[in-house]
Amino acid sequence: MDFITFENVEREYHVGNNVIKAVDGVSFELEQGSFNVILGQSGAGKTTLLNLIGGMDSPTGGRISVNGQKISDMSEYELTEYRRTQIGFVFQFYNLVPNLTALENVQLAEEICADPLDAREILRRVGLEDRMDNFPSQLSGGEQQRVSIARALAKNPQIVLCDEPTGALDSETGRRVLRLIRDAASELGKTVIIVTHNAPIAEMAQTVLHMRDGKIAGTESHDHPKDVEEIVW
Amino acid sequence: MVRGALFKKSLRDMQKAKVQFISIFVMAALAVSIITGLDSVWYTVRRTTDAMYAASNLSDLWVTVSNPSEQDLWGIRRLTGVTRVEKRFSAEADTALPGKPTLHVYALDDRSTLDQPEMREGRFGRYGGGAVLDSSFAEAHGLKVGDSISFKLNGVWMRMPIDGLALDSEQVYAVKNAATITPNSKEYGFAVIHAGALESVYGRSVYNQISVKAAPDTDLDQVVREADAVIGKRLIGITLQKDSASVSSVNGRIQQFKSLSVVFPLLFFIVSALITQSTMVRIVESQRGQIGILKALGYSKRSIIWHYTSYGVITGVLGSVAGLIIGPNLFGRVLVPQLRLSLSSYSIHVNYPNFLLAFLLILLCTGGVSFYACRKLLADTPAVLLRDKPMKEGTHVFAESTTLWQRMTFSNKLMVRNTMKNKGRFIMGVIGVMGCVGVIIAALTLRSTIAGLNEQMYGSTFTYDQKVLVDPQKTDSHYLGNLGLDAVTQQVQESAVEVICPSGGQKMEPITITTKDSPLIHMQSVDGTPVSLPDTGIAMSRKLCDTLGVKQGNSIWIKRTNKGYISVPIEEVSYMASGQGIYVTDGYWRSLGETFSPTALLIRWNGPPDERFLKSDMIMDSATRESQNSGLSESMQVVNFAVAAMIIMGASLAFVVLYNISILNFTERIRDLATLRVLGFHHREIRNLVLLENYFSAFLGTLAGIPIGKFISWLIASSLDERLDLTGSITLPAVLTAAVMTLGFAWAINTMVARKMKRIDMLEALKSVE
Repeated sequence: MDFITFENVEREYHVGNNVIKAVDGVSFELEQGSFNVILGQSGAGKTTLLNLIGGMDSPTGGRISVNGQKISDMSEYELTEYRRTQIGFVFQFYNLVPNLTALENVQLAEEICADPLDAREILRRVGLEDRMDNFPSQLSGGEQQRVSIARALAKNPQIVLCDEPTGALDSETGRRVLRLIRDAASELGKTVIIVTHNAPIAEMAQTVLHMRDGKIAGTESHDHPKDVEEIVW
Repeated sequence: MVRGALFKKSLRDMQKAKVQFISIFVMAALAVSIITGLDSVWYTVRRTTDAMYAASNLSDLWVTVSNPSEQDLWGIRRLTGVTRVEKRFSAEADTALPGKPTLHVYALDDRSTLDQPEMREGRFGRYGGGAVLDSSFAEAHGLKVGDSISFKLNGVWMRMPIDGLALDSEQVYAVKNAATITPNSKEYGFAVIHAGALESVYGRSVYNQISVKAAPDTDLDQVVREADAVIGKRLIGITLQKDSASVSSVNGRIQQFKSLSVVFPLLFFIVSALITQSTMVRIVESQRGQIGILKALGYSKRSIIWHYTSYGVITGVLGSVAGLIIGPNLFGRVLVPQLRLSLSSYSIHVNYPNFLLAFLLILLCTGGVSFYACRKLLADTPAVLLRDKPMKEGTHVFAESTTLWQRMTFSNKLMVRNTMKNKGRFIMGVIGVMGCVGVIIAALTLRSTIAGLNEQMYGSTFTYDQKVLVDPQKTDSHYLGNLGLDAVTQQVQESAVEVICPSGGQKMEPITITTKDSPLIHMQSVDGTPVSLPDTGIAMSRKLCDTLGVKQGNSIWIKRTNKGYISVPIEEVSYMASGQGIYVTDGYWRSLGETFSPTALLIRWNGPPDERFLKSDMIMDSATRESQNSGLSESMQVVNFAVAAMIIMGASLAFVVLYNISILNFTERIRDLATLRVLGFHHREIRNLVLLENYFSAFLGTLAGIPIGKFISWLIASSLDERLDLTGSITLPAVLTAAVMTLGFAWAINTMVARKMKRIDMLEALKSVE
């Protein structure tokens, strides 16, 4: 059975008198433990799609089910609970809490999750054992993104959602971050969805959803996705 | 056109951020209106009374002596600095009007120029046989010019036509004696007549006072000492203008509002300045990118600075002007009439120097701050300004080194770090709450102090039912002792005596002579132990001791009737909440060579009051303890009024401050909060991150507010009335009530902010870095 299922999902926004369909009748399925990329130009609706998967937004039409739960019908409280237990987010701009140290940002997960991973262990895994007590402002962009990944993983979620995780990083750092996401995810058996406008990244995915104007313009599957090192951008 | 475009931008910016601008405007208006308002109260009174004193040619001192001779006058006239002396007659008279009100009668010489009545209607006819009557008294009794008035002097009824209605500089605060505290025109007023009219009563012109006017900057204490020597044994007493009943009460009121207008505005000002300043900085900083754009477009530094400075200047000026209009009109117009002064027609005066000071401070907090914030930003290049603002730095705080830190939850750690990082905001909250708590404690303390004062005076010190004033010419101690009433009685002689302190100061002070065995007056020391009147010295109330600068064990000189001064030791000091003065036994008084002639009889009836006795000829007036008691409370109305106004303003201040800081706390961290929401924190879990800080500052502010409340209570209590000895010590219930009220405010505000927080749009907040 498919892990993530979208059935004719729509998301409309009202801007003044205009109705904008950010996601317009999208259907697809993704498997558990897969590594996926949603690719599209800016404004194609890919972030909206990601937010819908992550329970940060609710569809105006269609059905979404994740891991057997029908999240398109969930209440605000249930959605929070869903995010809390099932989803890990990695943002383009990291969104670390500036007043908490790297370690504490990761430990946030321990506060809310039933089955969190050890924060120090995860930070060691992402190569930050020496920077645990630094505040975000004392870390470089790449380091901050690694903390952000550690925070997402520490919650021990089913799904890790990444919105342009390399968008604010130089290519070398970006590559390292991507490798980290993929290695960690496959090691821990997580489903990963990365949103990007950066086409070469798609080559490392098992499934690629091409988005254009709120619709799925095409789906690609790679039986043998490329290694991060082979990708050039 | 450059200027025009920027100006349009100013207007639109202000409209866009109207909540902030309105709050700055309100804070400025509030601070300025409190300063100018409270100032206008005493300033108006001082200006008006000064003008009255000058217009009526009020004497600088009065020498009381029976039948002053020409030598007396001449002797005082030639003292250094004295410019004019006049004889006059001054005494209280009964009237036949309903309620038997008392009139203070001044009989002036035909050629007199000192202590003139200020005519409101009719005229003070020279050589005429008519009287000029107190205009408020006339109004209270429905008397008009042309009517006549009857009063009894020296046992003889006089009937006179009313020639005019007037005010009098010696009766601005018109109270009969030290026992009455509030002016009441129904019970007391004044009349001015010609000395010649007294011939029909006494058979000749009589005088009992010499009015003395001295040149400005004369050493009046010197004049008092020399006048004392001139008159010698026949001197009854000398009263300086500033010690005379009305003038000293008026000055007391002025002083009272002067103290209020320092403390309260200071509190309000500090908080307003903090809020205005922090809001202004944020408004300018939020325009960071726009400053970069303007700079990149090629606007000069100066026009950009002026553009942003004008935000603050315009709001500051508008707020100050609003405060200037509101303050004097609100406080002045409401509070001045509450003082119950008989003033000539006045307009509210504004103390402009203080207003200017307030105005400049406000400008500094608005324009000055926006100037500074903008200049600081302008130091960066447009390229830097157009980029995102650098991330706020997290820092370790001191508390982390403690073991407690290890046990704290993340929410608490986050809260502590956040608070430490925004110390200014936190301190602002603490100070705002502190002011609010202080004011509420003071108000509650004042109320309970007054209740306690009544309790002390008319519950434990005085235990009579009724105090009757008797005519000393128709009765004496022996007669009063053998009335055979079914009651406990105590004879009292209330008078005034000229006193010379060890420091050399000379003043007339109230004296009460009563029997050693004192069944109806129970004096207590400051610590509450009973004090009995000494046999070989005097007892003095504590406040009078403080005023005269003497203490137990000192000796003072007192003037005896038709004899010289004698030194008497202060053997006891008693605490009298009201009724400051000297207390002696009749035995000791006689041993000084004086006679004991009671002026009042205190009575506690065993059965119903003896109406026949109360209606007898020798009774001049009578008052029940209840009526005296309520008179005392009534006089506190004006202060209650002022304090109630202060509570409302203090509370609104705390409200604005707490709301402001929690909104700031919320909006500045909206990104953090949204992140936490995305991570899966529930609303109620992150709510406390913002709201606990409010409770925390409310808590600390409450603690800090206790000493402030104590100070304000003490200040009000000590400046309230010099005839009252109030301690203004704060009580636990007052503190608890203030604390509960403040925490209630904090709770109400938190509920409002929590509602706002619930509507966080995670996507919107995280969309882009600002």
